[in-house]
Amino acid sequence: MSQQSVFKVKAGKLQSLTENPTHYCAGCEHGTLTKLIAATLDDLDVREKTVMIDSVGCSVLAYNYLNCDHIVAAHGRAPAVAAGVKRLRPELNVFTVQGDGDALSIGLLETIYAAKRGTPITVFVVNNGIYGMTGGQMAPTTLPGQITTTSPYGRDPALTGTELDASKLIGQIDGAAYVRRASLVVNEIPNPRGKVYTIKNLLDAKKAVKNAFKVQALGGYAFVELLSTCSVNWKMPILEAKRYVNEQVTKRFPLGVYRDTYGVEKT
Amino acid sequence: MSETVIIGPRANVKILAERCKGCELCIVSCPSGNLKFSAKLNPAGFHPVEFTYQGTKGTCTGCAICYWVCPDYAIQEIQVRG
Amino acid sequence: MSIQRIYMKGNEALAYGALETGLNAYFAYPITPSSEIPETLAREFGNKKYPQYKFFIQSASELEAISMVIGAASTGSLVMTATSGPGFSLNQEGLSYAACMELPFLIVDICRSGPGLGNIGPEQSDYFQATKGGGHGNYRLFVLAPASVHEMASFPKLGFDLAFKYRNPVLILGDAYTGQLKEDVEFPSWQKPNYDVSSWAVGDASGRGPHILNSMELEYQKHYENMGRIFEKYTMAEEKEVLYEEYLTEDAEVVIVAFGIVSRIARGVVNTLRKKGIRVGLFRPITLWPYPTVALRKLASEGRRFLDVELNAGQMIEDVRLAVGSGVTVDFLGRWGGIVPTEREIEHKVQRLEVVAA
Repeated sequence: MSQQSVFKVKAGKLQSLTENPTHYCAGCEHGTLTKLIAATLDDLDVREKTVMIDSVGCSVLAYNYLNCDHIVAAHGRAPAVAAGVKRLRPELNVFTVQGDGDALSIGLLETIYAAKRGTPITVFVVNNGIYGMTGGQMAPTTLPGQITTTSPYGRDPALTGTELDASKLIGQIDGAAYVRRASLVVNEIPNPRGKVYTIKNLLDAKKAVKNAFKVQALGGYAFVELLSTCSVNWKMPILEAKRYVNEQVTKRFPLGVYRDTYGVEKT
Repeated sequence: MSETVIIGPRANVKILAERCKGCELCIVSCPSGNLKFSAKLNPAGFHPVEFTYQGTKGTCTGCAICYWVCPDYAIQEIQVRG
Repeated sequence: MSIQRIYMKGNEALAYGALETGLNAYFAYPITPSSEIPETLAREFGNKKYPQYKFFIQSASELEAISMVIGAASTGSLVMTATSGPGFSLNQEGLSYAACMELPFLIVDICRSGPGLGNIGPEQSDYFQATKGGGHGNYRLFVLAPASVHEMASFPKLGFDLAFKYRNPVLILGDAYTGQLKEDVEFPSWQKPNYDVSSWAVGDASGRGPHILNSMELEYQKHYENMGRIFEKYTMAEEKEVLYEEYLTEDAEVVIVAFGIVSRIARGVVNTLRKKGIRVGLFRPITLWPYPTVALRKLASEGRRFLDVELNAGQMIEDVRLAVGSGVTVDFLGRWGGIVPTEREIEHKVQRLEVVAA
């Protein structure tokens, strides 16, 4: 009697992801986030009722990768466009993916007002402390002393102000229902036999993404800031960039829950 | 009555090599060391990742960490023997 | 068909006209002299007479407003925003994007004196910005120029019809005078809007592929072709959607060309001068884009001279000169700063022209 082995798919094709290869740089967490969002849309079975508002920056080409309706907004305006869609069609699942410049520089008004009004949309901000697509200029979240093409001698807080703590800022706004800072960067655990990499951050981020959509379904505004790397513009090898986030960026921008009106983190 | 003993993997990892950008994240994250850079180049000019059934630290368990950590969906499917 | 006859302000009439047409949502930032529009729409929100009127909000800026309009219009809803010159400048970003994304909606500019902050008096100095494109890139806006409270009330219907037919934003270019003017207005009850948006609107995607509304196209050849298709729409509009009004032009020697509130003043001038035996007429463009070039050219070919009167330093006159061609005299009377010329001033100007001609 022969036994046949049956292989079951544990993780596989995502309905919400298209077949198109991505344009993201090697190791960029935009790709990771795209996959997490796709997995969540599949999990919650909301793909056909989802409208994504794409922004300007490395996130702009998401309409090629996520299999749902898209509107490509002007730089910084995604929350306002999302509000326009959601207010007319409250049954739809509307979300944005924005960079730190899009959400916190040119779009800071739109970001704050959507939160302030409690607009029931989901906002994802990929924070890599730099303007990636345009070639590495300084961002609102660039750390003091950090070298970028428009701060070639290091960011000077006396002239440009200090770094913007997005989750802290939005967490203080009464209209917001869920404000969370997570990290998409692999964790590095030193070990006598050599470094060990885990995806604890990634799995927490996956939960945050799901919570963010759940909060919208409950009628609230959700904001998730996701720490990421930009190894090309930081001019660092990929794993060194991950280390920079884990050691420097996370210290300045601690991960955690900055607001949770519905208590989704506890469920 | 003879019994067929299954020698082989507990899990399968399907990789689309042409999507891989050689970021190395899956290689360093694999707990059983079952992934390595291929000696060949893919059409984009990267050394893509290759799956071995017997890793440096054991057999692939189908944990799917590589699937989740890959930013490019080059690791397309994880199958586990049920 | 119920007809109501009400005495009201231009801005209010426009707001009610939009509601009667089937407005679904309004987003804007207040700015004098257009604020009666959001104020009226805020008051009427929740009025059971307008069940399709689903959403009103005062945006945090005109930048936010136009992006909210884009989002709402993407669902295929009837959406409007209103502003004045300084706000219209901020709206330009969204107009450029929306024309490329082929989104239908109404935008209203109750033009005030500029440039910069200027004052709240009437001007027609946004003509260039409106008709030549204040936003970047190759696009056109349909531009309707109301000259009465009745037109303020009825142009939302005309505007939405054009917007959805051509999938393009439509501008109602009023001015502080027409916005604040009070006149009798009739509101016919229009049929419920029945625009087919199923091929492009975002929303429930079950049973269809994704709809992507995007102005970015990184493949140059594809962008060339997409825009070419949009330009064909504009060419069709230039043939089919021109609107204008002629008053006593058949035997006129001098034709006054004026739009908006100035055309009302000019009408009085025509009547007065005709009594004095001067053969003067009025040509009033109603669509400033597409401009009634053909009709104006026809008038010019019959040996007339023209007097362009505008509340600016000379903007529409360039389109008049383009239409009538070389060899035809086009004189100009302009007034800016928020000041409106009197009938007397225009009469004197016409009479001086006649003297020169004779």
